[in-house]
Amino acid sequence: MSAGLPVSAGSPVSAFWPVTKPTGRHALALAVIDMQVDFCAPGGWVDQLGEDVSNTRAVIPAIAAVLDHARRAGIRIIHTREGHLPDLSDLPANKQWRTRVHGLGIGDRGATGRILVRGEPGWQIVPELAPRLDEPVVDKPGKSAFYATDFEATLHALGVTHLAIVGVTTDCCVQATLRDAYERGFEAVVLEDCTAAVERQNHVATMEILKAYGGRWGGVANSAAFVAALGGVHG
Amino acid sequence: MAEAPLALPAIAAAPYDYPFDGIWSAADTALLLLGFQEVTVDRLQAHAEVAVARSLVEATRAAGISIITTRASLGHGPLALRRAEAADAPPAVGSAGWDLVAALRPRAGETVIDHVGDEAFHASPLEPLLGSRGIRNLILAGLATDGMVHATMRAANDRGFECLVVSNACRGTTVDRHHAILRITMFGNGLFGTVADVSAILRAVKQYVSG
Repeated sequence: MSAGLPVSAGSPVSAFWPVTKPTGRHALALAVIDMQVDFCAPGGWVDQLGEDVSNTRAVIPAIAAVLDHARRAGIRIIHTREGHLPDLSDLPANKQWRTRVHGLGIGDRGATGRILVRGEPGWQIVPELAPRLDEPVVDKPGKSAFYATDFEATLHALGVTHLAIVGVTTDCCVQATLRDAYERGFEAVVLEDCTAAVERQNHVATMEILKAYGGRWGGVANSAAFVAALGGVHG
Repeated sequence: MAEAPLALPAIAAAPYDYPFDGIWSAADTALLLLGFQEVTVDRLQAHAEVAVARSLVEATRAAGISIITTRASLGHGPLALRRAEAADAPPAVGSAGWDLVAALRPRAGETVIDHVGDEAFHASPLEPLLGSRGIRNLILAGLATDGMVHATMRAANDRGFECLVVSNACRGTTVDRHHAILRITMFGNGLFGTVADVSAILRAVKQYVSG
């Protein structure tokens, strides 16, 4: 039972690990999803489109704090980046077309290099959350970290069974990764104060859907509960 | 000589007309019916959505569009116990109410795919089957909007399929969740595809069938 793990007051979060606790620190990983310049920094793609990056930017300090706790606790940290090969051979035609309607599509050259193309300045993870050399970075062409990547193989190779998920955006890549983790038998929890959407309404609606039925595809918790859970995981 | 497939007229949809490049035919399109099983239809009170899906089936059959019906099941183990808590939890294989509702049972020769959980591509033959038939356009209907429909549409979208979700042939676990999922689907000029009412699809398909 996970009854000893505290959850925050005032938020209908589920117990931290809904089904089983990790057997030790080695079994727990923090997944940081797509905290890239193009999604959450001034001058990045979303900003160049004239959209508001304040929501996605606002979670950087909370994620930095969680990263710091995770590093000190010695648990695995895995980062993801959404991006495509320079020849765009992994970019579906409809995905490019939909983004080009905004005037600057995936693969086009903008102020931060070619949009969502691997190796370009805008594709990099924001400096505040830069991965350390020993932290795996998974490059993904889709929304889900599990699609066409080595993410699942990496988790299995490392013996990871439990995931805490943070990053952007709530309604898109975070939700996709949580759902897919569940379907593949991982126990995942999303940290509500460490995820955001471009439109707040979509963040709020997604959190309501994820919280339904006691955490439908895993738990919903927050930074404080995560830090407390780290203290409760031994070995 | 086989006849070249006739192009179908574009379907009026939001945020963009379907498909994105205007290229679709009976040969490269499938109707995906997701999780219209007796127990789920009852629990979500989705009888109206079944009737809409039935009209879609009749029109697409007449046009020669592939119909692929999926049947979800609960699976096994601790995650199955959690899955069982949702309003749209799929039934165990062979249990009462596991079967498809009578109105949407496939005809001989139409394909049924069984899978565990919410995502019809996961650990199922759906992707190779679509690939072998040369299908790139998917029209989706099913239960629940926030469960299997959205999970499957996300997976299809990552795989490059061009997706149209039929708004009134899907029902959420609540009305608000249904609308929230459609709003998220349409974000950013169609984050996961585009959305239409059944009437827009019937109009396009009937125009095609009547030549």
